[in-house]
Order: sequence, then structure tokens, then C-alpha cells
Amino acid sequence: MANDAPAVEITDLVKEFKTTMRGRPLRAVDQVSLRIMPGEVYGLIGPNGSGKSTTMKALLGLLAPTAGSCKIFGRDSIKVDSRQDVGFLPENPYFYKHLTGGETLRFYGRLCGLGGSVLRERIEVLLELVDLKDARDRRVGGYSKGMLQRIGLAQAMIQHPRLVILDEPTAGVDPVGSREIRDLVLKLRDQGITVFLCSHLLEQVQEVCDRVGIIFAGKLIREGKLEELIAIEDQTEVVIRHADSALVSRIEEIIQSSDGAELVQTGKPRTTLERLFLKEIKRDHQS
Amino acid sequence: MSESTPTPAFKASHASRMVTLSLHAFTQLVRMKVFYFLAVFAVIVIGSNFFDMAQHQGPESVGANVLRNIKSWSLGAMALFAVVISIVATALLLPRDIEDRTLYTVLAKPVPRIDYLVGRLMGVLLLVFVSLAVMDLLMVAALHLRTGMVMEMQEKMAVGRGWPEEAIQSLKQETLASGVNWQLQAAVLAIFLKVAVMAAICLSVSTFSTSTLFTTVVSFLIFFIGHFQADALDFYLKGVEAGTSTFSQYLALGFSLFIPNFQLFNVVDGLVQNQPITLLMVGKLVMMACYYVLLYTLLAWWIFSDKEV
Repeated sequence: MANDAPAVEITDLVKEFKTTMRGRPLRAVDQVSLRIMPGEVYGLIGPNGSGKSTTMKALLGLLAPTAGSCKIFGRDSIKVDSRQDVGFLPENPYFYKHLTGGETLRFYGRLCGLGGSVLRERIEVLLELVDLKDARDRRVGGYSKGMLQRIGLAQAMIQHPRLVILDEPTAGVDPVGSREIRDLVLKLRDQGITVFLCSHLLEQVQEVCDRVGIIFAGKLIREGKLEELIAIEDQTEVVIRHADSALVSRIEEIIQSSDGAELVQTGKPRTTLERLFLKEIKRDHQS
Repeated sequence: MSESTPTPAFKASHASRMVTLSLHAFTQLVRMKVFYFLAVFAVIVIGSNFFDMAQHQGPESVGANVLRNIKSWSLGAMALFAVVISIVATALLLPRDIEDRTLYTVLAKPVPRIDYLVGRLMGVLLLVFVSLAVMDLLMVAALHLRTGMVMEMQEKMAVGRGWPEEAIQSLKQETLASGVNWQLQAAVLAIFLKVAVMAAICLSVSTFSTSTLFTTVVSFLIFFIGHFQADALDFYLKGVEAGTSTFSQYLALGFSLFIPNFQLFNVVDGLVQNQPITLLMVGKLVMMACYYVLLYTLLAWWIFSDKEV
């Protein structure tokens, strides 16, 4: 398969679900088309029930498209072999509770054809990556939500996939766990792994994604590079450290004397509540 | 916290995936503590030792009831436990994987659905096999010990009554024959084959069922209906002679081909009455079990291959 093939290519995807015996079918995904190139982090955002998870399931061959097609690195996603290159973290993953963290990774690794020392080393690397080395011998049934997401991410990456699909990766996870998952996503991007994630937590998507698609009522209503989508083209932001009131007044005078320029807003930039929370607990932890 | 560069993709064979899935299903069921029933079985085997009806008139009937009871109770309990385990365990696996959404994580890997189904079925069969092996071992141990005791009692009584040496030896041989023998193992194999068919049926039911309860109830229903399969076949064969409507005949034929005749697997009663199990009978049962396991596994695959999870 050609290396320049898109990591994900969804063309005119339609997915309808039967409702009652004679009722009209429910169209969950309506003519969605998107392409994700290798190495990109793509975020599909939309409210609950907008068709994000259905799109992902169709891409993984868990649902058969009513119309249209899904390809992974040029291969039809209905074919089982296409999943060799894919790691998937479902929403609220519930792994086999009777297995420990280490056993969970061994099970999924063996399904993908890994074995022996290769698998053992891979498990070590991934447990360290997701910071679960100390919990490797604990049963997954006793894991917290954040730990479940992290072991889920590790199982998704067990066979060195070129594409990782994450369905609401930070849903229900506390800010610290959420930050760790976002850091992991950024690490994947640094390694050239394509990431396709869907979420309704917009700020998190904004932090990690190169491109974003907005899906609503089954339709992809907007798509593009994140910076292009969120930039306000006719405005410019200047942030100055240690500016006294005299300097601010002078700047305002310059703007007023300029033709066509208008001062929209001055004030102090604010941190987010999440950043404040993380900073405070880090400080508390260090002390 | 470093991650190595991605390496070329790996590929598992169908067989290795099935083995992985079957060992996983086996571990899952074992950790659900299903083997606790073995304690109940041990109690039954020990209990069957104490049911010796006081009806013996001479050395030849001393303890005969005990040996018969041990065989009858043990094989009966083995058949019951094995069927219950196979149905409940099979009914639990697939619906639970769907409910817990663990199925997503398995099928999102390069795992063909047939591998998943066969792996799960093999896991249940492995569990049943190990359970039967342990129960078999307990039964054989109890029977062996008791046979020795019975022979000792018979010899003492026969000597006391002045039996000739040849008659005593002959009696010993007879008692030994009704103790531990290969016929018992054939009966255990028949139980395993019956249960394997039942597990395959349950697997195919679970592919379209929405819950463990529904799968369990329907499977038990098929199990009971299977005990009347011979009547349907009989209706077909007699109907051909008596000129019954073609539709009824084909319905009866279809029923008899689709639903296994579980009565054929019931060799325990005959064995307890010292009726021999021939190699031909065992061969027929093996062939029949293979046919139905294959039929129902393919049916399960046909339903499950297009199932949206």
C-alpha cells in the first residue's frame, strides 16, 4: 500500500439505524467525508448524539456503512487486515475486570501477533509510558477511571499502530488524568502517529489537534486547520509584560490616531481554571 | 517515559488468535469461581458411598449396590454439572462482552469474527473438559477404593461360606469388571460430546440474543426438545409409509437434522446396568457431535459476521 495514502479517508459515509418495524430509519451519519493525512492529530467535535462515535465505529468496521466507504491507509476498513495499523480506545472503556494491567496488555498483544520477549518488552515500555508500572499486577476491576483510560491507551498502542482512534479519551477523568492523556496524545504526534479523536470537550481538542471537524446532527458542518478556524482575521493580539498605565495610554493614543484601527479591548489576560488547579496541586505536592 | 519508534506490523495466525481467546475465556470463567461446584460433586461422590441397600443375600451381591450407586450418581452429576456449566458459561461470554463493551476492544484489533467465536467456544469446552477430568478422577478414585473394599468383604463372606477357590476368583473378576474400566471413560466422553454440541447451540443463540438470561432459557429449551428428536424422526419415517403430507414430513426431517438427538448421548443408564458401550457407538457419537458443533458454529458465524456491535 502506498505510503502517501491518507491515514483515514471517509467518503460520503451514511449510517442509518432501524427504529420500529415500520418507522423511518434514523440517520445517525449523513454524507460525512473527511481525510486525515499521516502524522496529523484530527479532532471531531460535536454534541452528544451528533454521530461522532458512529463515524468511528464505521471506520473500525464495527458498524457496516449504509452508504459510502471508509479506508485506513488505503485499505477498506471493513477488511480485518486494515485494523493491524489501528489502535482504538473506546468511550468509557471497560476492560476484562478479571485481568491485571499486565495481563490485559499481554492479551491484546497476542491477538495482534506479538509474543515472547518482543511482547514483554513492549508491555514494559507501554506501562512506563502510561505510568502504570506500579499497578501492573492489580486487577483492572480495581482501577480508577483515569487508570482505565491510560491502560486503554496502552492497549490501543500495543501493536505499534500508525493510527490511534480515541473516542472521548478524557470523558469522566479528573483534570490531572486529563492532562496526562493530552500529554500522551502530544507524544504520539511527536512520534509521527496519526491520532483521530472525538470529544465534546472543546478546550481539550483545541490544545492538541492540528485539524478539526465539527459534526452536528450527523452532518460535517465545518472542517479545517484549527488556527484558521478559530483566528479572528481582522483582529491582532499583543500581550505585554510589566506595562505601566502610561505605556498603555500611549499605545491607546497611537491606535486612536491611526486610520481605520480601533481598540477593541484592554485588560489582563486570564489563566484557565484548569491551569490554576494544576498549578496549585503541583505546588501542594512539592511542598 | 520514552516510546520507541514504530516497528513493522505483526501478524497472528487464526490458530494463535483462537488459542489466545480460548485461554482468555477459560481464565475468565475460572476466576469467576465456577470450579466451586467441584466441592458439591465431591460431596455427591462421598455420599453415594453410604447408600448401600441391605438386600444382599450372598457374597455376589455384597456392595454391588454401592459400586452401581457411585457410577450412577457420579456420572449423573457429571452430566448435569457439565450441561449447566456449558450453557451458563457460553451464555455469559458474548452478551457480557457486548454489555461491557469489551467486544469493541477485541474486534477493533485484527481479529476475524470467526476467530472470536471459535476461541470463545474452545474456552468453554476447555473448562468443561478440565471439570469433567477432575470429576472423573474423583469418581475413579472413589470407585477404585470402594471396589477393593467390596472385594475384600466378598472374599471374607465367600470363604466363610466355604466357596471353592475358582468361584471366589471368578467373583473377584466380576466385581473388578463392574469397578473402574474403560467403559466409564467412554461414558464420560459421551457426556463431553453432548455438552460440546450444547455449547455450540448456545453460542449460536447468544449471537442474536440480547441477554444472558434469554440465551440460557432458549438453550435449555433446545436441550429438552433435543430429547424428543427421535420422535420427530420417527414421525417422518412412519409418515413416508403412511402417506402423511409432504410439508409435515419435511418439517419433521428438518427438525431431526437441525436439532440433535440428545437421547443417543445418554449411555450412562445402560452402563450402570452393565450394558457395554461399543467402539462403533463411540464413533457414531463423535461423528454426530462433530456435525452439530460445525453446523452451529457456522450458523453462529453467519449471524455474527454482520452483527453491528
